[in-house]
Amino acid sequence: MNPKINISLYWKCQLIGWSVAALYWEYRGFTLSTHFSWLLAALQFISDVVIYVLLTHAYRNFALKHNFQNLNLGNLLKRIIPGAVVMGFAYTLATTVKLYLFQLWFFQSPVQPYAAFFKQNAEAIFIGGTRLMSIWLLAYHMYHYAQREIRTSRENARLAIITREAQLSNLSAQLNPHFLFNSLNNIKALVIDNPKSARRAIDLLSDLLRTSLYNGEVMQISLQDEINLVKDYLELEKLRFEERLQFDIKVDDSLDAMQIPRLSIQTLVENAIKHGIAKRKDGGVITICAAKTGGLVKITVQNPGILKAGDDGVGLKNLRERLALEYKGRATFDITGELHDIVLATISIPSA
Amino acid sequence: MKKLRVLIIDDERNAREEIKLLLKSYPDIEIIGEAKNADDAKEQIEIKKPDLLFLDIQMPEKTGFDLLESLDNVPQVIFTTAYDQYAVKAFEVSAIDYLMKPIREERFAKAMEQLKVKSTKEKDDRIFVKDRQQYHFISWNKVHLIESMDNYARLFFDDKNVFLKTSLNLLEQKLDEVLFFRVNRAQIINLNYIDKIIPLPGGKLKVLLKTGDAIEASDRQSVKLKKLVKT
Repeated sequence: MNPKINISLYWKCQLIGWSVAALYWEYRGFTLSTHFSWLLAALQFISDVVIYVLLTHAYRNFALKHNFQNLNLGNLLKRIIPGAVVMGFAYTLATTVKLYLFQLWFFQSPVQPYAAFFKQNAEAIFIGGTRLMSIWLLAYHMYHYAQREIRTSRENARLAIITREAQLSNLSAQLNPHFLFNSLNNIKALVIDNPKSARRAIDLLSDLLRTSLYNGEVMQISLQDEINLVKDYLELEKLRFEERLQFDIKVDDSLDAMQIPRLSIQTLVENAIKHGIAKRKDGGVITICAAKTGGLVKITVQNPGILKAGDDGVGLKNLRERLALEYKGRATFDITGELHDIVLATISIPSA
Repeated sequence: MKKLRVLIIDDERNAREEIKLLLKSYPDIEIIGEAKNADDAKEQIEIKKPDLLFLDIQMPEKTGFDLLESLDNVPQVIFTTAYDQYAVKAFEVSAIDYLMKPIREERFAKAMEQLKVKSTKEKDDRIFVKDRQQYHFISWNKVHLIESMDNYARLFFDDKNVFLKTSLNLLEQKLDEVLFFRVNRAQIINLNYIDKIIPLPGGKLKVLLKTGDAIEASDRQSVKLKKLVKT
């Protein structure tokens, strides 16, 4: 058995990068120097890799802790530039100490105080170190920045696709052949029986068609607009179902201007009619509520019926997806079967 | 001429009004009732025995198909629906016609025309059976053999067969005894389909059907069958 050790890309880059740099320094150092020792070479190599990996790793932990990965480009640069200088200084300190100690142990050359050694070498080492650290910082942050950009654009593309799907399915839901043809058939009968209602029904149906045909791009609308749309829809369906369809709408006035996903309540009401009212001989009451509780706005649609476990239709599936994406997980949707054959659908959206 | 007696079945009042309005121009039709769900319809069908149903498919609790399945004898049917998806199904069941709501007058006229053609033919007693996702209208005249299979009766007609959830004993009581004869514990045959009857040694009879099936009658039923054939 050969347990495979999974080394992350970060550690691969760290180890390989610093090893290559350390080898390069060795090559430079020994071609310039007159004597060579394997022990010294090994110690140089190991100390270089260990010191610089630790140094940059400390920086990485600091950056992660202070959320550098979520900054925009401007703010990120504001931190990278001083960061490179500070890192350059830390590099200088670590390197001079290391070199001084090596000199002390291996060459027993006339011992110069550290301060003098530092003074003599610091400038060159600082310039080289700052350059090196700048490269490291840029590589590290640019990689993560690019990753983030890719992720964001992917997410946006997904959102766009889902929105498009939602539009399409809402369109076909609004223009749901069954709903549309039944409404038309109903209007046809009303023309003779009750011309006034027929005229009203044509107005309502026109508005509903207009909304589904032309407002496809709009993702969010005010609660008030959504409720008005739902009222039109219910009024039209009431002409069909007559006394079988009753409804009650209780919306907190202070929430009128709140933005909610377009057609979200409509989807729930349509379901309530399709699976609740239309399936019951005596129909029932659909209750729509919207109220603020704590930091959440709860929108509920309640209808008589029995919840079939497990399968959301296209409408509900889309609604879930849209909530998850538009509110990044802070909105929830639940549909539950309650006592006495009641189905309760709840959307919870953060109020601010 | 005897008027055609019609029952209109739809859960929406306005949809029923529409059919009534369309029927106004047909004086030889008599609307004997309206039903707003399957249970209501079943009751009226059993009491009033209409000749024709205008039947909406999508209704609360039980669909139009469910209604037809629950009937012992199914009248002529014209389906009315706002759904397109049921159109194909309705074709399979060979109803008189299916009409898409809203219904155009000339389309309605065509359905009524077809109705005249069909209803001039002899009226058959028939049932409506769902078997393996397919709906069938089955005339008893066309069923040549019925076999018992556990809790089901298997009906053979044309070159097809369907399962009906009923015991053979229960079914036997409902069947027309001029047409059907119980040959043994597990089989009922349609007398019109008998080709030959061959006596077997020991007094039993073997019945050959025109379809090629060979069925052996039980001792007791062989005696009865002999009498039946003689008369």
